[in-house]
Amino acid sequence: MEAGALLRSISWIPIRHLPRRCLPIFPRSLRASSDVQGGYRGPKPKKDWVADWVSNNDDTVRSLPIYVGGLSLLAVLFNRSISGIAPVADASSSQSRADLLTLGLAVTNVLTGLVWLSIRPKSISVVNPQGVTCQRIHYDLPDYVVSELLWIWESLSVATCCRSLIIVYQDNCVLQIGVAAESSINSGDPIIVDTTKLVQGSLYESVMKSGSQSYLANLSLYPARSELPFLPSNTQAVILQPLGDKGIAVIGGDTIRGFTTSDQAWITLIAEKLDSTLSKYSNSLTLATQNKV
Amino acid sequence: MGSLSINTIVEFRLQLRFQADKRHSSYLFTSRRPSCFSGIIAGIRNRLRRRRNTRVSARVDNSGESKQQQQQLNLSVLRFTFGIPGLDESYLPRWIGYAFGSLLLLNHFVGSNSSTTPAQLRSEVLGLSLSAFSITLPYLGKFLKGANLVDQSTLPEGNKQIFIMSENLSDTMKEDLAWGTYVLLRNTNTISVLISVGDVLCIRGYWSTPEDATKTHMLDWFGRQVQQIGLSDLKDTLYFPQRPDSGVWEMLPKGIRSFLVQPVLRACKLGGNGTEKTIQGFILLASSMSYAYNNRDRDWIGAVANKFRGSACIDL
Repeated sequence: MEAGALLRSISWIPIRHLPRRCLPIFPRSLRASSDVQGGYRGPKPKKDWVADWVSNNDDTVRSLPIYVGGLSLLAVLFNRSISGIAPVADASSSQSRADLLTLGLAVTNVLTGLVWLSIRPKSISVVNPQGVTCQRIHYDLPDYVVSELLWIWESLSVATCCRSLIIVYQDNCVLQIGVAAESSINSGDPIIVDTTKLVQGSLYESVMKSGSQSYLANLSLYPARSELPFLPSNTQAVILQPLGDKGIAVIGGDTIRGFTTSDQAWITLIAEKLDSTLSKYSNSLTLATQNKV
Repeated sequence: MGSLSINTIVEFRLQLRFQADKRHSSYLFTSRRPSCFSGIIAGIRNRLRRRRNTRVSARVDNSGESKQQQQQLNLSVLRFTFGIPGLDESYLPRWIGYAFGSLLLLNHFVGSNSSTTPAQLRSEVLGLSLSAFSITLPYLGKFLKGANLVDQSTLPEGNKQIFIMSENLSDTMKEDLAWGTYVLLRNTNTISVLISVGDVLCIRGYWSTPEDATKTHMLDWFGRQVQQIGLSDLKDTLYFPQRPDSGVWEMLPKGIRSFLVQPVLRACKLGGNGTEKTIQGFILLASSMSYAYNNRDRDWIGAVANKFRGSACIDL
C-alpha cells in the first residue's frame, strides 16, 4: 500500500471488551500453568489518526472530493481569466494542455465523490423489542450442554443484533433466552413455547425440508409470523436455523436486515456444532434409558 | 463432519469470505445501460431486492439507494467496470492521478518552446496537488462505512499447510480446537491460525515452518516462539492492520500483511481447597490482506475465544 507507506503508520483501533458472564464452574482437576512470564514483550500497535478521523467524519469525507474538484474547476477558469488568456479548450499551447489535465483530474475527483455518496449505507434504527427478559433452560441438561448454550447466547447477543433466542430440539424447548413476548395468562411472565404447534407449522416444515438457514429480513412482511408467538411482537428480523434434522434455532433481531452475511455464516457453523453436542447428549440419554431397561 | 475429524488437513478455498468480492466504481458515462453490467455483479444474496435505478447524477441525496446491510455486503448498486476480473476499479483515481501527474510534468519540461508563464505554473501546481489528492483517495475510501474490501487474498509463497495439536488431549478438547480453527479459517480472511490455551497448542493453516520438522519439533518451536514474545500473558487484543517492521514476529508465515491476537482469559476455581488459578491463552490469526479484520469480525473472534474460556478448566 503506497499511500499507507506515505503516511507510515501502524494502526490501532480501540477494542471493545466482551462482557464477562458467570458461567458454571466445573470442579475438575486443575492443570497448573507452568510458566510465569514477565508479561508481554512484543511491539504494540500505534494509533492510526487517518483511519479514526475518516471513520468519525464519514459524511464530510464523502463529499470532500466533490468540493475539491469543484473548487479546482473554478480555480482553473479563474486563472485563465486573470491571465488574460481566452478560455478556449484546445491543446495547442502548453498552458492549454496543463489546464486540460487539471480539468480531467478535477472531474475524476467529483465523480469519485459522487460514487462515495451513492454507496453510503442507509442507517436503520434499532427497535427495542417489547416483552419480558427470560432465561429458561431445560431442566435435564448436563453442564457441558448448558455452558455451550449460554456461550452461544453470549456470542450472538454481543456480535449481532440478536435479542431473543429459542432452541427447540427433538420436540423439547431446550432454551428460551433474551426478550420474549409476555404471556396473556400471567402478565409479567414470558410466554411458554408451544413446541408441538411450532413443529406442525409451515415455517418449521419448509426449513426442515430445505435443510438450510432461512432469513426473514423484515418480519412484518411475512404472514407466517403468527407461528412464532413467543417472539416479541415488534421483532424486526428472524433467522431460522435448522439443527441437523432434529431441531431448530429461532434467532430474533431488533433491526430490519440486521444480520449480515457473515453473521449468517457464523450462525450456520455454530448450529452445526450445537447439533453435534445435542445429538451426543441425546445419544448418551438413549443409551442410559436402554441400559435401565 | 469433516471439520471435526482431526486427522485430515482441510482444503479450504481461497475465497474465504462469504460476502462480497467485486467492488466497482461508477462513472457517469456508462451508467445508462443497466442490463450490460447487472450480470457482472455477484448475486450471492437472492433475498435482497436488486436496485436498478442507481444512475449517478447531480442529485446528492441518496435516500433509498442502498441498504444498511450493505455495510459489509456486495452492494447491488450499478457500477462501472472494465469487465477484467481481478481489476479493482476503485483504484481508478489513483491510476488517473499518476498518469495525469506524469503528463503534467512531461508537459512542463518538454512541451513549451518559450519559458513558462506564471499562469501556467499556477495551473500546473494546482494540477499536481490534485493528482496527489487523487492518489490518496482509495486509501481514504477504505475507512468509510460500507467500504468493501476486495477479496485480494492470495496465498503467499513459501508456506506449507499444516494442522497439528498437542499430545494427550481429551476428545472434547480436540473437537473444540478443530472446530474453532476451522470456523476461523472459513469465516474470516485468515490463512493461518494458532490457538494456545494453557499448555495446549493447536496450529492450522499455512505456516512457514522449518523443513522436514516432525510434529513434536514443530510444537516445540512454536512453544518457544510464544514464550519468547510472552504472548501467553496478553491482556488486551492486539490488532496490526499493517505488518510492523520489527523482527519479533518471526514465527509468522511469510507474506502476512495483518494479524490479530485475541487473549483468552479465564479464572478457574478449584472446588476442593478453593485456590484460584488464572489460565491464560490467546488466539493468533494472520491474513495475507492488510486491514483484514473489521469490528464485526473481531466480535466474532472474541466469541470463539470465549468458547475456550470454558474449556480451559476441563480436565485435559
